[in-house]
Amino acid sequence: MSRERILAAARAALGRSGNPDAGAIRAEAARLVAGADRGRPPRSGTLTERFIERLTDPKVGGTVEQVASLSGLPGAVRAYLFTHNLPASIALPPDPALTALDWAGIATHHRIATDEPVAVGLAACGIAESGSLVFHSAPTAPTLHNFLPLHHIVALDTAKLLEWLEDYATGPACGGRAQPRNVNIVTGASGTTDIEGRLVRGAHGPGFLHVVLFAGG
Amino acid sequence: MRANQPNFAARVDAALASPTLKTAIDRTTGTAERNRARAVAAWPDFQAARDLGRDIRAHVVNNIDHYLVEFERNALATGAKVHWASTSEDACRIVVEICRAAEAKSVTRSKSMLGEEIGLPHALEAAGITRVETDLAEHIIQLAGDPPSHIVWPALHKTREQVKELFAASHRDPGAMEDVESMVQAARRELRAKFMAADVGISGANFLVADTGAVCTVTNEGNAELTTTPPRVHIVTAGIEKLVPSTTHAMALLRLLVRSATGAELTQYTTFHTGPKQPGDLDGPDEFHIVLVDNGRTNMLADGLAEMLRCIRCGACLNHCVVYRNIGGHAYGGTYPGPMGSVLTPALDGLPAARDLAHACTLNGSCQEVCPVRIPLPTLLRGWRDRSWREGLEPSSVRTALGLWKFVATRPWLYRLATAAAVRGMRLFAKRGWIEAMPLAGGWTRHRGLPAPSGGTFMQQYQAQKRKAR
Ligand code: SF4
Repeated sequence: MSRERILAAARAALGRSGNPDAGAIRAEAARLVAGADRGRPPRSGTLTERFIERLTDPKVGGTVEQVASLSGLPGAVRAYLFTHNLPASIALPPDPALTALDWAGIATHHRIATDEPVAVGLAACGIAESGSLVFHSAPTAPTLHNFLPLHHIVALDTAKLLEWLEDYATGPACGGRAQPRNVNIVTGASGTTDIEGRLVRGAHGPGFLHVVLFAGG
Repeated sequence: MRANQPNFAARVDAALASPTLKTAIDRTTGTAERNRARAVAAWPDFQAARDLGRDIRAHVVNNIDHYLVEFERNALATGAKVHWASTSEDACRIVVEICRAAEAKSVTRSKSMLGEEIGLPHALEAAGITRVETDLAEHIIQLAGDPPSHIVWPALHKTREQVKELFAASHRDPGAMEDVESMVQAARRELRAKFMAADVGISGANFLVADTGAVCTVTNEGNAELTTTPPRVHIVTAGIEKLVPSTTHAMALLRLLVRSATGAELTQYTTFHTGPKQPGDLDGPDEFHIVLVDNGRTNMLADGLAEMLRCIRCGACLNHCVVYRNIGGHAYGGTYPGPMGSVLTPALDGLPAARDLAHACTLNGSCQEVCPVRIPLPTLLRGWRDRSWREGLEPSSVRTALGLWKFVATRPWLYRLATAAAVRGMRLFAKRGWIEAMPLAGGWTRHRGLPAPSGGTFMQQYQAQKRKAR
């Protein structure tokens, strides 16, 4: 059996006689990432400022606006559709926080089309270090909503901004059985540099990423 | 995957003779080099981060048996099925069997170098299963019938004109394709429906997270998630060295991986896949299979190549290698090109077939300077040279020449005489400081000039300096 053969070969190569000491290995692994600042890039400004600075960096290519509360989202979406000359129809995940909003003037649907022009979503949290949005798959948050649309408009509660990637990793949503099937960490609009190294947006995923920050508290 | 010509020298000749290859390589690797330099300059403690990267990867390699078992246990608990494959044949057989059981007609695949290493594209084709490569570069080389020529940009050897031709010949709706943007749009249109129609999606893994059983993929196009979400079955093929203790460790490595590869802070899409669809989920696969592949890795561990197992496949050593930048990826003849490929290929394909690779290195050390996990690539390459010598794989011409050199070099008076004569001799062939042709130097001068020696030999210059100082 391959399993036994691989494990035996690994143990022989490592010169192990008995079973590895799991406790000691775990302690060593924890020690490696213990120093808070070991291997972390520099930072400046407030959490929100840092997030916005990263997100709107040309390499990331996101756009951003701020509204007072989540109820301001439909207004922001309306303005976005108007400015970009897009149809007043959006794919909206069946998340009660989103469906409860007043979408007057915009047709909404839950089933996302393969060529969906616009989808609106709600991020589970944001990471300031890299300007990233985090999405958790759930019955109210299908994964494909983050990948099929050409324009992705995402609401993010500034209270859910985290400093470092590790802050997410050690948070409650990560690890164990509680982990959702898919955790999508999205950093900017889809892009490719596969033809002559030139950056082109909208390779397969969304070509435009617009973040609407709101103060949820 | 092997390139057409059987021997290294012939492949290098073909690469150097290509009128477009050098320009194509420089465009992509040059951009990558500049972007990496910018990212590293913005992070004063980058060297400390590299130490951390090295330590995490070394810790995993030193405890790989422990982490394999832990990962398996946690992945099983999420509902994933875990398969083990000692060889590339085992791995391909397992994947094809899963596809057959799912009655798969069409399979989408998101770029995975391990998939190339084990020959998965070929195995799927041989089984009569339609394979759709979804990464833009993989799509291009699938249409061209080429093997990848870089581990991050597999199609960097293709110019935009060549891509345009390929798309025009095969896409249903290619459009005018006047610029690179419209070519990318053409591929988006072409692949859209195929993503949704596939029965099975196959991906690789950038990391296997031991304490959650999650599989981490990193892509910039979004094709991985479009490959793994719609089909009924998701299969992951991953080398056993891809393990990390926890998500926290994965994050520390992601910082290094992305900056070293493209100079970005984080790639657009970093996804942790954990098991199949959960109750109530509206999308995601019903079955989630993970194939853990050894294919020579435990041998590398036993044979003094443990350091190479730290590799996170960032491609920086390729982008900074003077040899890679002149000959491109295909000339190396293996799945993995450049410095990391020159170390890996003899381990994967056998030293007799790949002994030339260790010699095609100037040992300038650039690869080691940029490697995010500090792999001593030049030392490992020297190890292969040494082994090739000891195993008698070096041709007799090399042995004779080295014997001759040793004879001369151990007699300083003779060495000085010979080098002085060589310097004088070379000058006879020089025109305006360059040698365009000279007996015995055809291999060099066919593709580039050789600078003529300007001063005297080292010893002559040394003596002259000493005289001046007096
Ligand atoms: S050897 Fe180092 S630089 Fe080269 S691909 Fe691997 S991690 Fe990157």
